[in-house]
Amino acid sequence: MIWASWRQQRLQLITLLGLLVVGAAAIALMRSNMVGALASAQLTDCVTLPLDQCTAPAGTVKSFAETWANPLDVGRMSIICAPALIGVFVGAPLFARELEQGTHVLAFTQSVSRTRWMSSKLLIALVPALVVLVALQWLVSWWLSAAGTLGPLMTGPFTAVNFGIAHVSPAGYALFAFALGTFLGVVSRRTLVAMTAGLGAFVVVRFALAGVVDRLVPAQRQELPHDADLTVLYRSDRLVLDGGWLDASGHPVPDDRASALLQACKSAPGGAPNTQEGFLACLPQSGLVKKYSLFIPESQAWQVHLVDATIFTALALVLLAGTAWALRRQS
Amino acid sequence: MTMHGPPGQTLPVIAERVSKRYRRGWALRETSLVIPPNRVVALVGPNGAGKSTLMGLTTGLLRPTTGAITVFGDRPTGKGLHPAVSYLAQQKPLYQQFTVTETLTYGARTNPTWDQGYAEHLVGQAGVPMNAKIGALSGGQRTRVSLALALGKRPKLLLLDEPLADLDPLARETVLRALITEARTQGITVVLSSHVLAELEGVCDHLVLLHKGRVVLAGDVSRLSPNGVPLGELVLQHMRAAAAQEEAA
Repeated sequence: MIWASWRQQRLQLITLLGLLVVGAAAIALMRSNMVGALASAQLTDCVTLPLDQCTAPAGTVKSFAETWANPLDVGRMSIICAPALIGVFVGAPLFARELEQGTHVLAFTQSVSRTRWMSSKLLIALVPALVVLVALQWLVSWWLSAAGTLGPLMTGPFTAVNFGIAHVSPAGYALFAFALGTFLGVVSRRTLVAMTAGLGAFVVVRFALAGVVDRLVPAQRQELPHDADLTVLYRSDRLVLDGGWLDASGHPVPDDRASALLQACKSAPGGAPNTQEGFLACLPQSGLVKKYSLFIPESQAWQVHLVDATIFTALALVLLAGTAWALRRQS
Repeated sequence: MTMHGPPGQTLPVIAERVSKRYRRGWALRETSLVIPPNRVVALVGPNGAGKSTLMGLTTGLLRPTTGAITVFGDRPTGKGLHPAVSYLAQQKPLYQQFTVTETLTYGARTNPTWDQGYAEHLVGQAGVPMNAKIGALSGGQRTRVSLALALGKRPKLLLLDEPLADLDPLARETVLRALITEARTQGITVVLSSHVLAELEGVCDHLVLLHKGRVVLAGDVSRLSPNGVPLGELVLQHMRAAAAQEEAA
């Protein structure tokens, strides 16, 4: 049965292998060009430093960013889109084409159970696609890390794109897209319907669930006095879930009230603009004593990825069970 | 028809009050039927009489709405066809991108009772090139490959749904002759469905006539027509009677 599935999906497997080889070569080439550009612009040290500690002239940093932003984004977007492509081109036609062309009757009337037929087809389709995806993901992140803080990683691990291409998330999305494609294929019995509906449904679910996972990971709370350096609360390496001002008794101040008080403190009692010292002295008197922040630090990003992938994998398993049920049903 | 025959285990097919209902209506109603061994059975009836449904129920592709069907004593399930049964669907499904060799390999990989030499012999006999792609074959050649795939499994019961429908008269003749030769020499029960009795008249020795989901005539040809009344005439008589009964009811 494995042989039969392999023979049927041979063209697809060769295409996947081709994609991997071409993608790996392109990424390796781009990366080595980029590393060369960094060295010749003497930016190599800046890659590992926060942007404000980079001593290179601002012009060279800007010109590097302008030259490489697009290629790096193409790399990132390819990993963002890969799960959808796996769903559309690997998952959706897997059973739909057989049902459409009637060849499932041939398969169902040999001495092989439908379950075995189904699982061998799923295995031969899914495993190579996932392997290629993970390999390309690794290559892209290898390339991105070479640009370090001068590239897209500067915006932190929690931006939609950076999050979506890291850790186990792409694999989770791909599994879900694949299962969605196969399920719609079995239910609709039409390849084209499964491909288009699968793509649409995947995009909708992917957007709908983005952000939901953030709430499922235990967050950290930080409180700073009103006169401390508050910029740490807005650093890009953390995912801020909630935040605001606290009054003297530690109760949160509603946002609209806090902004009115802040506005009031910006003016001195006489009506002239307040000084920095006057502003800071005014805050606790108005009841804005501390600033707090509820956030997930970069060190916990893996937990968010794990929860994210778990949700998508669970959805995928439900869809695969539905596929199995629909295929095993004798109409 | 009564069910008191020889022990059920040995009979290729026993249907007991089998009904099948689709969304559009009943395809088969309270059908009871026995297919005896070592026969060439003509399953005849107009389009929509329930021939394909009966075959689908026998293979396990479909499940009866009520009643029970057994094939060599087993209930057909969705867990693959009984090893002793081969089925050739009306559309003759084959993987278009496979070569003939690969199609036979497919048969070998999916059937424990596969006889590769026999299957190759059947393809060779039909003059089909082994390395040709299925998609490039003619209708007659494709039917011969489908038959080789069905027979290579060494079945005791071979179900063929309208196997001659899309063939030209010459191919029809050759396919039928090849098929009957194999059936007689290998001792296989063959069930052929057709809406044209004429094409099976000379070769079948058992007849099942379906009309609107019911069996209206069934039995060995020698018993149904002892005086040599042409089968076509007999079938027409029963069809007319069934139609008249329907109108009266």
